[in-house]
Amino acid sequence: MDLDTLLQFEWSLMAPEFTILIVATVLSLLDLFLRKEVNRNHFAWLAMGGIALSFVFLLSQLGHESSMILFDTYRFDPFSISFKFVLLAGTFLVLLLSHSYKEAGEGGYRGEFYYLILIALLGGMMMASSADLITLFVGLEMLAIPSYILAGIQKRSTRSNESAMKYIINGGISTAITLFGFSYIYGLTGSTQLNVIAQNLSNITQSSAEGLAIMAFLITFVGLAFKISTVPFYMWTPDVYEGSPTPVTAFLSVVSKAAGFIIILRVFMSIFGGIAGIRLNETFLESMIIFIGVLASLTMIIGNTIALRQRNMKRLLAYSSIAHAGYLLVPFVALSPMAFESMWFYMIAYMFMTLGAFAVLQVLIRQSESEDLSIFSGLFHRSPGLAILMTIFLLSLAGIPGTAGFIGKLNIFLGALFTEPGNFTLVAIMLIATVISYIYYFGIFIQMFFRHAEFQTRIRLPKSISAVLVICAAGTIILGVLPGTLLDFYHQHIDFNELTGSLWK
Amino acid sequence: MLEYAWIIPVFPLLSFVLLILLRQTVTDKSSYIGIGLSGVSLILSGVVLLAQMSQGNLIKSVSWLSIGNIELTVGYLVNPLNAMMLVLVSLVSFLVHIYSMGYMKEDSRLNVFYAYLGLFTFAMLALVLSPNLLQIYMFWELVGLGSFLLIGFYFYKKEARQAAKKAFIMTRIGDIGLLIGIILLFWQTGSLELTSIFAAVEAGAMEEGMITLIAILIFVGAIGKSGQFPLHSWLPDAMEGPTPVSALIHAATMVAAGVYLVATLFPLYEASETAMLVVATIGAFTAIFAATIALVQKDLKRVLAYSTVSQLGYMMLALGSAGYVAGVFHLMTHAFFKALLFLAAGSVIHAVHTQNIEKMGGLWKKMKWTGPLFLIGALAISGFPLLSGFFSKEEILLAAWGEGHYVLFVLALIAAFLTAFYMFRLFFMVFTSPAKTNNVVKESPKSMTFPMIVLGALAVVAGYLNTPWFGTFLGDWLTAGNGFVEAHHAEGPIWIMLVTILLSLGGIYLAYVIYHKKSLERDFLSSTFPIAYTVMYNRYFVDEFYQMTVGYGARALGYLGVFLEKYIVNVIASLCSEIVQGIGKQGSKLQNGQVQTYGAVVFVGLVIILAVAVMQGGVFQ
Repeated sequence: MDLDTLLQFEWSLMAPEFTILIVATVLSLLDLFLRKEVNRNHFAWLAMGGIALSFVFLLSQLGHESSMILFDTYRFDPFSISFKFVLLAGTFLVLLLSHSYKEAGEGGYRGEFYYLILIALLGGMMMASSADLITLFVGLEMLAIPSYILAGIQKRSTRSNESAMKYIINGGISTAITLFGFSYIYGLTGSTQLNVIAQNLSNITQSSAEGLAIMAFLITFVGLAFKISTVPFYMWTPDVYEGSPTPVTAFLSVVSKAAGFIIILRVFMSIFGGIAGIRLNETFLESMIIFIGVLASLTMIIGNTIALRQRNMKRLLAYSSIAHAGYLLVPFVALSPMAFESMWFYMIAYMFMTLGAFAVLQVLIRQSESEDLSIFSGLFHRSPGLAILMTIFLLSLAGIPGTAGFIGKLNIFLGALFTEPGNFTLVAIMLIATVISYIYYFGIFIQMFFRHAEFQTRIRLPKSISAVLVICAAGTIILGVLPGTLLDFYHQHIDFNELTGSLWK
Repeated sequence: MLEYAWIIPVFPLLSFVLLILLRQTVTDKSSYIGIGLSGVSLILSGVVLLAQMSQGNLIKSVSWLSIGNIELTVGYLVNPLNAMMLVLVSLVSFLVHIYSMGYMKEDSRLNVFYAYLGLFTFAMLALVLSPNLLQIYMFWELVGLGSFLLIGFYFYKKEARQAAKKAFIMTRIGDIGLLIGIILLFWQTGSLELTSIFAAVEAGAMEEGMITLIAILIFVGAIGKSGQFPLHSWLPDAMEGPTPVSALIHAATMVAAGVYLVATLFPLYEASETAMLVVATIGAFTAIFAATIALVQKDLKRVLAYSTVSQLGYMMLALGSAGYVAGVFHLMTHAFFKALLFLAAGSVIHAVHTQNIEKMGGLWKKMKWTGPLFLIGALAISGFPLLSGFFSKEEILLAAWGEGHYVLFVLALIAAFLTAFYMFRLFFMVFTSPAKTNNVVKESPKSMTFPMIVLGALAVVAGYLNTPWFGTFLGDWLTAGNGFVEAHHAEGPIWIMLVTILLSLGGIYLAYVIYHKKSLERDFLSSTFPIAYTVMYNRYFVDEFYQMTVGYGARALGYLGVFLEKYIVNVIASLCSEIVQGIGKQGSKLQNGQVQTYGAVVFVGLVIILAVAVMQGGVFQ
């Protein structure tokens, strides 16, 4: 590869990624050379500035026609752009949340927190854009490895260490399984490039080797299920969420999970979405989707039922996030024309409500040095504002009308019912699971409104947390009342035909 | 200004929010907040009305939610009907706000009362601005809520609680019809926008049978709201609410919402002759049915309530006889004179502390303002020549005659006679018969007489907006501004007018003879037809009938339900919760913190999945 070849790529398209990379590098150098006394917390502002700039670059790419660089391994299409917005916004809010985070006994983060999180974000963005199994895998690990470190970033806390340990072991298992699945795909098709794979695979599925294609599909899915924590790969979630610092938990449950969905959509839609299936007149993905449907149902049920028994708030939210991963799989299983739209919308709604809930949780945990459900007791009398904000987030998580969570669920329901034939069973299970989830969400309401306060101290809100709370509450309500604002943006800039075309090529 | 019409409902809403938030601080001052903000609404409504006359209609909507190809919008619509309703609602509401300052002065929950009034006014104004059925339905339910809260305002009284509950349930029965109708319309036309629905009707996109069905279902909603037979009996009970509320909600505005709904959807009704006939028949029947009950009631407010039901029946008769203008015209004049009558009745009740007309008397001299104003209202509703009710009733009769509904026409004539009779029975018994007690009676304060004077003036002059002699200004304006309604003014022979005048005067004279001069025995009719009297006095036993059928039926169903719940549902429910908890328990048992277990679960899970895939050959056939 000579210089001319290198220069002919349209590098400007990678401006969002480069911005993140440069800011991460600068931060790591600053961390190295600045004197010890300088407060590393201010890195957060630089990192957020970088994300904001990257966001602007990404906005300028809207409407740009799909193109690929680096020998067709890295692509820019409506799909990648639309989901990169979610990753960037999620990380931005997590950074805002982490700015004021101080664990008792430790002097806050070292600077590495900020550039690790940026590198992880970069990995997520690479996953969104990759058109090749190799780049995809590199992106996956680039997200995973900083996440392992982040989970254990409180060196002196045994819980944080334990959580990092569990995370890395499970992550290793997941990587192994994913690679095993990829190797089947490569073995069958002789290529790592997604569109070449799809072309070559269409001959295979019609032949006697279709069994191998089925294996490849299932093994890859189970491997990738780790990132989105669905059955059977969900068990690490509560332990890791519980032990990690709260902002890291928030990052894992929002950004890392979104990246997991992105990669699943990308791999399965583009490899299996366009080729002939086992039965007549359907795609391979449609033939196999029942497996994912069953896994999604199990995930919804298990997540919500086990959440009923949790008293530790971080574990409770961990199970709730497992359940939400199940909801998010429903549009993927239904494969309606609205699938992308509803997943994208739900991810954004989920981002607002979950990060908001974590922000409240972070304040209360810090205050009471406990993670038990009882930290919410009498919150309405201690701090009505905080209680009302938490109410908004919980109502949205439960899917009550007037909130973003409701519109998100409504979209998913309608999408799943409009397909032919309608996915009635799946929708019914999702409804039942939602009803079960009311029990534990409303348990928190009871604590907030009807119990006497165990803690009498006044609650101080750091400015950055207040900012997160306001942004998340505004997002939750605006999307719940005027979902059109976001959906119109989506329809205006993301051409649906181009989107599916780019995946089914 | 038309662009800002949406702001009109915001002020009463603001009043509601402010009064709820500041309920601790503004106990006495709450009336000023309410009056001020509803006054702003009134002024703006007037401006919008004038703007509509000079600039024409305006419809604005923004996309609210799009799901697939379906797009739901929110917005507002200003056309002649809506503009007129805006002024009407905000005017009566404003006057009632002022009146309540005097009437509710002693009440310790004055702030709550004004808050509810604000909520109701908001919902009603928003209802008349709605350009699509979704919004109409939402605000339709919200006015129902406002009405429920206000009927039950004296919640410590058992009757008030029960009346509120009854009103809520009976109107809800109607609303089910409305909801089904809306859903059917949406299914048929793919839109909830009024304009696209009318366009679809005009283009003949729906079968006539379907139009009839939808129109009748929607009319069921209107029956509930407007207290038409057979869902009328909640309205008289609703008189348990404070009298200003009866004037605002249960006479002038909310109960007219049913009439408004039919008027708004008039093009839909016109497309189906059957539906029109149903509307006209129910209307005419209700008009005479309620009028006969009103003849013998002894409670001042109840007589007025039945009279409202009867007059609403007139409006329905007009709409069903293609008399769009006549119906809307009567809606307007009725709002003025009926609100006047209620406020005057409130003034009387305020002074004598009873609602039983047998215990009243001799108030003419003691209440210098209330007496004459009540007389104006009574004359207007009786169709006394040259007052507003005369012109609008005339239009309705002409419409029924012109449409060839001769039976209904005769019913309406008889009802007109009865109306004049029972109104003057009230008047003579309350004001001119000898006083029954020696209690000191004082005229009500200015805050109460002022709104009555305004309404009294309107009850006299409002009719001249649309007369056969000076021009049909209102009718021309209403039809010109609505592309879907044809202007047609029913002409009829002159004798109709003469007969109406005669009947009206005859009714008044009969009441005069019986209740004032007493030259006829009071009970000469009731003793001649004792059964008829009992039946009417007991309101045709409709409530008893509902109690025997619906009431006991529901109770029987209730017992069955309790049984089912105890032995079947509960078992299933506890089974469900056991299962859910069981899964949770087993699941969390598995979650033992050992990372080996987690890995094992993954591998076992993967193996199971692959095994299933292999056994099934990859697919489930």
